[in-house]
Amino acid sequence: MTEPITNVNANLVEELTARHGEPDWLKARRQQAWRSFETMPVPRLEKTDLRGRAWDFGPFPAATGAAVPQPLAQLEAALGDQAAVFIQDGTVTRVQVPEALRARGVVVMDLHSAAKTEPERVQQLLGRAVADDENRWSALNAALWHGGVYVRIPRGVQLEDPIHIIHSESEQARGGMPRVLIVAEPLSRAEVVEVYGETGQAAGSYVHSAVTEVIAEDGAQLRIGVVTQYRKGPTHFFTRRAVLAKDASVDWVFGDIGDGFSVGLVESRLDGDGSRSVAQGFGFGYGRQHLDLTASMQHRGRFSESDIRLFGVLRQRANSVFRSSTHMHRGAVAAGSEQHDRVLMLDATARADAIPMLLIDENDVSRCAHAASVGKIDPTQVYYLMSRGIPEKTAVQMIIWGYLQPIVDALPSQAVRDWVTQVLERKLAE
Amino acid sequence: MAAPHLVIEDLHVVVEGKEIVRGLNLEIRGGEIHAVMGPNGTGKSTLASALMGHPKYEVTQGRVTLDGQDVLAMSVDERARAGLFLAMQYPAEVPGVSNANFIRTALNSIRGEGNEIPVMKFHRMLQEKMRQLNMDPSFAERYLNEGFSGGEKKRNEILQMSMLEPRIAILDEIDSGLDIDALRIVADGVNSLRSPERGFLIITHYQRLLQYIVPDYVHVMMQGRIVKSGDKTLAEELEAKGYDWLKKELGIEDETVGAQA
Repeated sequence: MTEPITNVNANLVEELTARHGEPDWLKARRQQAWRSFETMPVPRLEKTDLRGRAWDFGPFPAATGAAVPQPLAQLEAALGDQAAVFIQDGTVTRVQVPEALRARGVVVMDLHSAAKTEPERVQQLLGRAVADDENRWSALNAALWHGGVYVRIPRGVQLEDPIHIIHSESEQARGGMPRVLIVAEPLSRAEVVEVYGETGQAAGSYVHSAVTEVIAEDGAQLRIGVVTQYRKGPTHFFTRRAVLAKDASVDWVFGDIGDGFSVGLVESRLDGDGSRSVAQGFGFGYGRQHLDLTASMQHRGRFSESDIRLFGVLRQRANSVFRSSTHMHRGAVAAGSEQHDRVLMLDATARADAIPMLLIDENDVSRCAHAASVGKIDPTQVYYLMSRGIPEKTAVQMIIWGYLQPIVDALPSQAVRDWVTQVLERKLAE
Repeated sequence: MAAPHLVIEDLHVVVEGKEIVRGLNLEIRGGEIHAVMGPNGTGKSTLASALMGHPKYEVTQGRVTLDGQDVLAMSVDERARAGLFLAMQYPAEVPGVSNANFIRTALNSIRGEGNEIPVMKFHRMLQEKMRQLNMDPSFAERYLNEGFSGGEKKRNEILQMSMLEPRIAILDEIDSGLDIDALRIVADGVNSLRSPERGFLIITHYQRLLQYIVPDYVHVMMQGRIVKSGDKTLAEELEAKGYDWLKKELGIEDETVGAQA
C-alpha cells in the first residue's frame, strides 16, 4: 500500500534540481527514482513493523536558520582545521579542506557541485553501490537527496588524517535525505568518518533516509566510520554499501548512540579477488530505541575475506535486532568469513535478537563461522572486579565499556572518538 | 595501621543446596602465614570464596570478623576495601578492560576519593612490580586475563596483591599449573609481602609450595572442617606419608564433603 503523496512533495524534485542547477541526467534520475518511490510498497520486515510509521518529509528550505546543536558544536570546535564538511538540516554550510590535501588532488565537496565539476564520474558512480530502486527508502533518497557529500582520493594518494562529514539536524529539519559518495582510486588509502547528530524533539513523524556509497578501486584501503545519534520521532533508514575491487580493503566501524527508530544495512560487496572487509558495529540502546541492523558481506571474489563483529548494549525498553549475514556466492573460491554478535541486556524490559545468517553457494570456501549470544553481564566478571574493591556500579560500567571501547577506538579521528566516549560515559553513568 | 585480626567461627557454607564447609574455626593475625591443605573436594576453595563473598556461596551459620567488624555483612567490594584479598584459582577474563586500568581503579577504590594515586606514580609502581614478577611490560595494557596462560593469570593475581597491599591475603591454589620457575617467582612475590601488618591464608593441595613459602601454621581440611593443625612439620609429614595416614589416624574413610551426608 502506498500513502497518498501531496502535490507539494511531488514538486520537491523540480525544486531541488532548479535550486542546484543540476544537469539533465541527474534530473531525469531523480524523477525516475521518485516514480519508484511512489509505486513501491512499504516492505514488510520480519522484526520491524513499518505499518504505523508515517512517511512525511519536506519542504526543504534552501538555507537553515538553526544553530548547530550544542554537543556537535563541541565536536566542531575540536576538529579545528582538519578536513571536514558540515551539513546542517540538509544544507552544506561549510567545506574545509587543508591546502596539503588539495595539493595532492583530494576532492572533498558537496555532491551537487561535484555533479557539475566531475559529471562523468559522478554520473557513472552515483547509484553504483546503492541502486536507485533498491527499496522504497533508497528510491526516496535517490529522488530527494540534498546536502550530499562527494569525496575522491586520487590514485596512489595515502592520507594520514581522516576526513570528517558532520551532519546535524535541529528540530527544524523536515526529514533528512543525506547522501555520501566516496571514491577511492587504485592504491589510495584514507579514513572517512560520518557523524549524524540530531537534537531536539522532531515536530512530526518524518522519514529520514541516508545513503552512503563507497567505491574502493583496485588495492584501495578505506576505513569508514559512521556514528549516528538518531533521536526518537522520525523513522530512520540507512543504506551504506561498499563495492570492493581487486585487493581492496574496507573497514566499517559504526555505532548508534541515540534513542531513535532505525532500520538499516551496512554491507560490503567483495567483488574483487583478494578483497577484504571488516564490519564492526555497536548499538547502545536506551529509552524506546528501536534498531534493526543488518551487517552483510557479499563474497564474489576469490580469496576474499571478511569479519563481522556486532555488539549491543540494551537498557530500559530498547529493542534491537542485530543481523549478520554472509553470502558466499558461487565462484568465491577460498573465501573466508567470521561473525561474532554479542548483545548485553541490562534491563529485563529490553528486547534483543542476534540473528546470524550464512548463505553458502560455493563448495570451496576456507572458513565460515559464526557465534551469537544474547545475555546478561557475566556475574563472575562483576564479582572479580568487586573482589578488588571496585563498587558494583563501576564494575558494571567497566565491563560494558570494555566491550564498546575496542570499537570506539577503531573509529577514525581522535575528535570523534573523544566525542563518542563522552556521550557514552555520560549515558553509562545515568 | 594496626596488625589485622581475622576470626572465623563455626563457619558453614552451602553451595547449590549442598553444605560444603561444616563448622570451620580459624584465627589469623598479622605476620602469620597459615596454610590450609587437604585432598580435593574437602571444601578448601569454598572456604576462600565464601570469605570473599562469591554470590554462589551462601553462609548459613557462623561468624567472620576482621578487627571485630562483621565481614559477612559486607558486600564483596567492601570486604576488599576492608583489606581482604583473594588470589583466585580461576580468575575471570574481562575483555576490553586493560590490566593497568583495572588495577588503578581498584587501587583508587581502596584508597578512597581525594586520595587517588597520581597516574605517573602508579605506572612506575606497576612496571616495577611487574619486573619483579618477571612479567612483560605489555601485560599492563593487555585486557584483563584475556588470553593469559594459566601461569600468567597466577602471576597477575600476585601482581594485584602486591599493588593493593591487602591486610589479609588468601591464595587459592596459587601453585596449581605452575612450573618450578614460575612457582619460585610467585613465592618470592608472596615472601616480599610478608609483614606484621599482613596475614596470609594459603590454600594448597601440595606441600611443594610450602617449601618456598614457609608457613607458621598448617591446617588439614577434610569433610568441610579443619581436622588437624600443626606447624610446618605437619606439611612435611603429609608429604612423606600421604593423606591416607592422617585419614587412618582420624578414622575417616571418605575425606570428601558429602560422603557422610
